Amino acid sequence: MNTRPDRAVDPFVVEVIRNALTAIAEEMSLIVMRSARSPLLREAGDLSSALTDADGRLIAQGRDIPAHLGVMGSTAQEFLKRVPAQRLQPGDVWYMNLPEAGGNHLPDVKAIRPIFVEGRIEAYAVSLAHWADIGGAKPGSYVPDARDAWQEGLRIPPLRVFTQNGPDREKLDMILANVRGAEEREGDILAQMASTFAADAGVREVFSRYGAPVVREAIADLHKQSEAEMRAAIRTLPNGIYAGEDWLDDDGLGGEPIAVRVRIEIRDDEAIFDFSRSADAAAGPLNATPFTTSASVFYAMKVIAGPDIQPNAGCARPLTIITREGSLLQPPADKPVVGGNHETSQRIVDAIFKAFEDVIPTRLTAGSSTTSGLLLFSGRDPRTGQWTTLYEVHGGGEGARHDRDGMCAVRPHMSNVMNTPAEVIEANYPIMIEGQALRRGSGGKGVHRGGDGQVRTYYINGPEVFLTTMVERKVIAPYGLRGGEAGKTFAITLKRAGGETQDIKGKTHIRLQQGDRIIMKTSGGGGYGAPTNE
Amino acid sequence: MRNDSSTWKVGIDIGGTFTDVLAIDTVGGEIRTAKVRSQTQDPVASVVSAFEAIGVGWPTVSDLMHGTTMATNAVVEDNLAPVALVSTQGFRDTIEIGRQNRRELYLLHVTPKLPPLVPEHRRVEVVERIGPEGQVLKPLAQDEACRVAALIDELNVDAVAIALQQCFVNAEHEKALAEQISKTLEYIALSHEMSPEPREFERTNTTILNAALMPLTAGYLDKLQAGAGTGTNVHLFHSAGGMASVQAVKKRPLALALSGPAAGVAATGKVCTHFKLDNAIGFDMGGTTTDTCVVINGNVQVGSNQRLAGRPVRQLMVAVESIGAGGGSIARTEGPAVRVGPVSAGARPGPACYGLGGTLPTVTDANMTLGYLNTERRLGGAIRLNRELAETAIETLADSLGRSVHETALGVYRVANASMARALRRVTVERGIDARTCSLVAFGGAGPMHAVALAREFGIAKVVVPKFSSVFSALGCLTAELSYAEQHTVRMPSTDWDGERLATLCRSMRDRLSGPILAAGRDAGAIDTRFIALIRYTGQSDTVEVPFDLPCDPAKLGADFMAQHKILYGFATEEAWHFETLRLTVSAPSETDLVDLDEARGDISTSPISLDECWFDARGPVATRRFERSALPIDWRVQGPAVIEDDWSTIVLPPDAVAWMDTSGHLLIEPGTDS
Repeated sequence: MNTRPDRAVDPFVVEVIRNALTAIAEEMSLIVMRSARSPLLREAGDLSSALTDADGRLIAQGRDIPAHLGVMGSTAQEFLKRVPAQRLQPGDVWYMNLPEAGGNHLPDVKAIRPIFVEGRIEAYAVSLAHWADIGGAKPGSYVPDARDAWQEGLRIPPLRVFTQNGPDREKLDMILANVRGAEEREGDILAQMASTFAADAGVREVFSRYGAPVVREAIADLHKQSEAEMRAAIRTLPNGIYAGEDWLDDDGLGGEPIAVRVRIEIRDDEAIFDFSRSADAAAGPLNATPFTTSASVFYAMKVIAGPDIQPNAGCARPLTIITREGSLLQPPADKPVVGGNHETSQRIVDAIFKAFEDVIPTRLTAGSSTTSGLLLFSGRDPRTGQWTTLYEVHGGGEGARHDRDGMCAVRPHMSNVMNTPAEVIEANYPIMIEGQALRRGSGGKGVHRGGDGQVRTYYINGPEVFLTTMVERKVIAPYGLRGGEAGKTFAITLKRAGGETQDIKGKTHIRLQQGDRIIMKTSGGGGYGAPTNE
Repeated sequence: MRNDSSTWKVGIDIGGTFTDVLAIDTVGGEIRTAKVRSQTQDPVASVVSAFEAIGVGWPTVSDLMHGTTMATNAVVEDNLAPVALVSTQGFRDTIEIGRQNRRELYLLHVTPKLPPLVPEHRRVEVVERIGPEGQVLKPLAQDEACRVAALIDELNVDAVAIALQQCFVNAEHEKALAEQISKTLEYIALSHEMSPEPREFERTNTTILNAALMPLTAGYLDKLQAGAGTGTNVHLFHSAGGMASVQAVKKRPLALALSGPAAGVAATGKVCTHFKLDNAIGFDMGGTTTDTCVVINGNVQVGSNQRLAGRPVRQLMVAVESIGAGGGSIARTEGPAVRVGPVSAGARPGPACYGLGGTLPTVTDANMTLGYLNTERRLGGAIRLNRELAETAIETLADSLGRSVHETALGVYRVANASMARALRRVTVERGIDARTCSLVAFGGAGPMHAVALAREFGIAKVVVPKFSSVFSALGCLTAELSYAEQHTVRMPSTDWDGERLATLCRSMRDRLSGPILAAGRDAGAIDTRFIALIRYTGQSDTVEVPFDLPCDPAKLGADFMAQHKILYGFATEEAWHFETLRLTVSAPSETDLVDLDEARGDISTSPISLDECWFDARGPVATRRFERSALPIDWRVQGPAVIEDDWSTIVLPPDAVAWMDTSGHLLIEPGTDS
């Protein structure tokens, strides 16, 4: 009989504690969604929640946005490198958003709370929320032609905003004075605080129930479990060295396509992802932090080899991720990064998929509409006199698979943010939606076809509205797999009230007027297998 | 004709596997109850066989109140009538685009979205447009309405759903189209009636589902009424937790979406009222699913944003959280970890101990191995449980873990409780409720077996296993009030208060909803109206429920909102707020009270029916007395370790727990603590 002497804690107790901690992380996200103010949080759910151990290592995370997964695993650790644990007090909630410190881009602000049990820090609660504005040169804090990090908005180093006596008003006001929509933002900050408050109570309950030694052992065990699951997942891949690359359209400043390259080495139960040969840091905001890169690697490993792997620090152990300093995926701290979070992160997944094309094709999907397709409209609503900002992302075709066609109009891979209903847009913004339809025939041909993109027509119903775009797949189309054809590229057309039309760039900022129309066509998915001639 | 011999009031819940029935003779006071197999192909036959089981017939039944999974099953099994959809020009693909999010984050082989409910060739666009303030931007021409009606006619469908943009602010175009189409088609669902709220994808789906259920439901109800004749009043249990007339359900069959679970929830509410419990969690654990719900101050919690078989449904329904775990859930190792579910052995082959061919270890097998279930008793008089088969199944798991069989069974029991605990957390946390302030009302086949352990997990101080716990939904039907509920978008900021507008809306909704109750012959004085304001701060999307009375005092409403917000989220600010939505429930109380219903009692005895070895912790088995529930004397205290059982369910009392039956037949339990 196998007695497993290495297991100090009953495996059932470990499972019970895992359930309890995951429930706490899920509860945190629920609280942010229900009490936050920005539509981006409450309607679209662009947020994540996590619990870490006393060393900042991830223990549990809710069912959140994949792009945040790897990031949350580093946030608390990077925080602790900058703020020694001795400085932390019960009731503290610290806020930070520095991309180079366990971050991804400035709008994703993290609230961190140390959780004390009997005078000792046992865990941290981390609440990440995408603020609809973090200041900077343009409303919505997307600056498509940004050349440095400061143009992108307010940079918040670890900052104690709440103590057990409540908010530190001066610090809160300092933040609010530097972002647009102060009232809405204050509501979001409170929502993040409230979620960490609930986590604090929940975690202390778990510790008092099972006792600190048992919970600590259980957490160590969970890390071991995930590590074992990841090793088992890697073993399902054949040993070897595989290379793949995909391209970003441009850097936002009119440059050429930018390469994301990966060299993957599978050695039994370990994997090395080497991105050193990717392009140098971009001049514009398409750079991605190493934390974003690890989120993409983790996502890819989950979908191709181990969908049930529990996200925690253990599963990172068998993975070695190499990025080159000064490159697109490890940029200097002064470089802009806002688009890297949801554009470059997707291209990393694409490069990994292409590396595996000849190895495990049946586990992959062909190229999908891997871009947020972000249109940011802002302007004063003539009905209310209020300044409004609509942050709208657009799904496109999903790539086909070996056994089925791709789905139409969907968000693939690293994101899963929803659209805003036309009726909600029309009631809250000086915009009418004239139609939302499938972009028929936009999916690539193949034995199985790529999914179709969609077409949405925005009619400007106010005297002055500004549009920022952050869109990829306008130049480089979603690829086909195993001979399947590529999907159609993204297209944005401006039709002026006077009738003239013009093509709108994927990363730009323009002024619109009453009667103008924006016709947005999202990219189709790639096909799978060479199409037969009909 | 109703005659003097029509004296039986009958509550029936037709479930997927069993049909439960509970009836009372309003003259003699006699109670009869039974459980029969459901006849899924013919629900009317289920009603008839339930009647036969308790020895009544249509002529002797004055009132039939019933819940049914018919509509739910039709949606889940995609057994829906072909429907045409009419959309505003430019929007026929809305149901295919959806909210563009995918169902599974990490499973690439799963199609990201469900296929649309109406295929492309049956989606018709109409030239018209209403603006966000209700202004007509593009009128609906008469010949356009005729063109659309003709197209629909050619499609040869059974029903049509009409869902136009912004129709909830101005419904004129939907009504005009309906008038035209109704000349050739009977079944028409209008989106402004189904869900008078923004969000076109969700509203359209709700409307299509309703249209698709209309022919099926009408067929069933016509057949049922033909059987009932004029002598029996037929009412159906609707998803918001009350009874509705046949006429109302024909128009809105989607109201039956959660008919069955809602009846269990309503019965939980009755138990709360009976015991004057402020808050309670209903816990219905069956073989493959577990339904949980929350009752606050005797009020069943309802919500309007739910899903049915993965499809969004926007209508008021009891807030039931279902998880795919129950007695049949299979325990397995996954690498070094232990998981219970989501795979279930279902009813066939079922748990290993059923002896129907199942060999995988289930939660029920763990309960069997721990000695809780009685091998001498046939489950529902039919299935004999086999302890050896259970232990063999658990042993395979035990071997792979290097643990003893009993340690492993205890572990499976605990992990099953942990996933139940997660479901309970969801219903409580989502509403900002501290589970420790709730009582646990346990019913269903497996609920009472896990209730005490679960209560300990949460620090819940009181467990109730109500009388009729195995036909609890039928009890809910029998004791339910006639009620209708609806909500309407108001969108009134506190800074721009229009009390007159609100009062007019309240009155007109109350009058409309009271109509069917008055038509059922109930007295206007007996009608109870509840007004609930759904309020939020500017910019929030989720609202807080705040009850109020007419005339509505905005200052009090604001103060109540802030107090509730503070409870829910730990903070409240003094800023302006929005009265977003008005929810109104009108009801007339049931003529049958819970206290009038007494369960049949056997010979009263304090002697156990057997003495068994049961495991409650890894230290070893304890001698455990087993009691017949119907034999327990009133107020006599059973000290754990003990097991109390009837034909359908088993109540486990670990050491330290104490149970007693109250005067009305409910079993009350103080869970005690883990030793």
